[in-house]
Amino acid sequence: MAQIEIRDLGIDYRKPKSNEVFSAVDSVDLSVEKGEFVTIVGSSGCGKSTLLMAVAGLVDLTRGSIEIDGKRVDGPGPDRAVVFQEASLLPWRSVRGNVKFGLEMQRWSGGDLNERAMQMIRLVGLGRFSDYHPHQLSGGMRQRVNIARALAVDPEVLLMDEPFGALDAQTREIMGTELLRIWERSKKTALFVTHDIDEAIFLADKIVVMGRNPGHIKEVITVDLPRPRNEAILDSDAFHELRKRLRAHLAEDMSSMQLVQEVA
Amino acid sequence: MIAELFYRRQALVLGTLSMIGIVVFWQIAVDTGFINPFFISTPSQVAAEFMVQFEDGSVATNVAATLYCFVWSLGLAAVVGIILGVLAGWFADVESALEPFIWFKYSAPTVAFYPLFVAGLGYGTPTIIAIAFLFALTPIYANTLSGIKNTDRDLARAARSFGARPLDIFLRVALPGSVPVMMAGLRLGVGRALTGVVVAELFGANAGLGYAITYYGQLMQTTKMMVSIVIVVVLGVLLTQILSFLESKTDSWRVDSNR
Repeated sequence: MAQIEIRDLGIDYRKPKSNEVFSAVDSVDLSVEKGEFVTIVGSSGCGKSTLLMAVAGLVDLTRGSIEIDGKRVDGPGPDRAVVFQEASLLPWRSVRGNVKFGLEMQRWSGGDLNERAMQMIRLVGLGRFSDYHPHQLSGGMRQRVNIARALAVDPEVLLMDEPFGALDAQTREIMGTELLRIWERSKKTALFVTHDIDEAIFLADKIVVMGRNPGHIKEVITVDLPRPRNEAILDSDAFHELRKRLRAHLAEDMSSMQLVQEVA
Repeated sequence: MIAELFYRRQALVLGTLSMIGIVVFWQIAVDTGFINPFFISTPSQVAAEFMVQFEDGSVATNVAATLYCFVWSLGLAAVVGIILGVLAGWFADVESALEPFIWFKYSAPTVAFYPLFVAGLGYGTPTIIAIAFLFALTPIYANTLSGIKNTDRDLARAARSFGARPLDIFLRVALPGSVPVMMAGLRLGVGRALTGVVVAELFGANAGLGYAITYYGQLMQTTKMMVSIVIVVVLGVLLTQILSFLESKTDSWRVDSNR
């Protein structure tokens, strides 16, 4: 059986100040194998982040179920860790303090917290900056801290919610390569949400393409590009082919959105 | 070198210069007969009188009496304000329950309650402390409340993703994140507490700077009165500066990297 099993998932929100119910995600079925790197791509409002937060246990399910290693998800758990956008570091704690934070919250019992934190900080290449505070770091460095914090708790599944969304294009590319380098070592199952097509292809074993109204899966594309990968594959024919396919999907979503706007 | 120092400390230098300017203007205005010294005395007379009051010990007595009431009122206001502010910030029901009192406090002048306190606590120190306590309470409470209530949602969510319980989020996210705002509340509270003490002393006390101001004011001894007024001003600036310094220590992490 797959490591993550999502069956007939539906998530509704009640709009604030009205009784209108808004469906963010509907009828989603998805299996993710152990050690797979899965990216979830789609235009904004397609429910991709909601889906990820549901797997994290931070959003209540309206219909269906999510199982991880056969255990039903009904809240956050030590088998999962989330890498958020950069604003999620505690600004008053140093890099080391932030990496220790997840361990403290989970009442980590696997040895010395400082040692564990330092090991992870070195893994993401920030060994010299362990006493710096977030405001002293660049956006890319802050995301390395975020990744270190998630990896420190040694989760089975790594969940990433547009972690490089706020970075400039160049830093983003470097961080993608770095993430793969780190991931190759641990081979943890990874779910990665993005709206960047190149990023979605570059990282993935499998791309989940989502559409909107309500959020649903349009297609799951297997990526057969060889690993380990580097920037060179961005120019390969196979990459171009995948990029074309994803563009077509997103363009379709865009035109349907325009139609809605014209009608409204 | 001097020019460089000037640019770095421009605000401080200009502020000092304008202060000195006012003092010089004050002295000249009186010396040239422009203003009657009976109303505002002169800087040189005030300085001389200060030395007299300093040597006969009345400066020490008055400052000690005022500071005693100040420390008690600020201390009580800090303890009560922070405890209530934290509770109200964390539990919305507590905030709703306390809301009317806060509106009351904001809209009604606290001094109006002076006779009530006199009836209950008598003239003197307890009443002064009570009035100054009420003066200082509001900003400390309000800032603590908003600090806890506005706990960063992204941080709280990140904490929850690692399995944090509500108490963890309170202790590790809400509380440390509120310290700078609380310190700002305390800084405001310092100014308010000092005002409260001096105002209450104006009405009824047998020592203290406010007492000295009314006492000499009623005797029309402007120079002697000015000594206490100047001390109050210097004390206020000094105490607020100390708090500003502590405040900047606690929120160094809020400094923006792009500054």
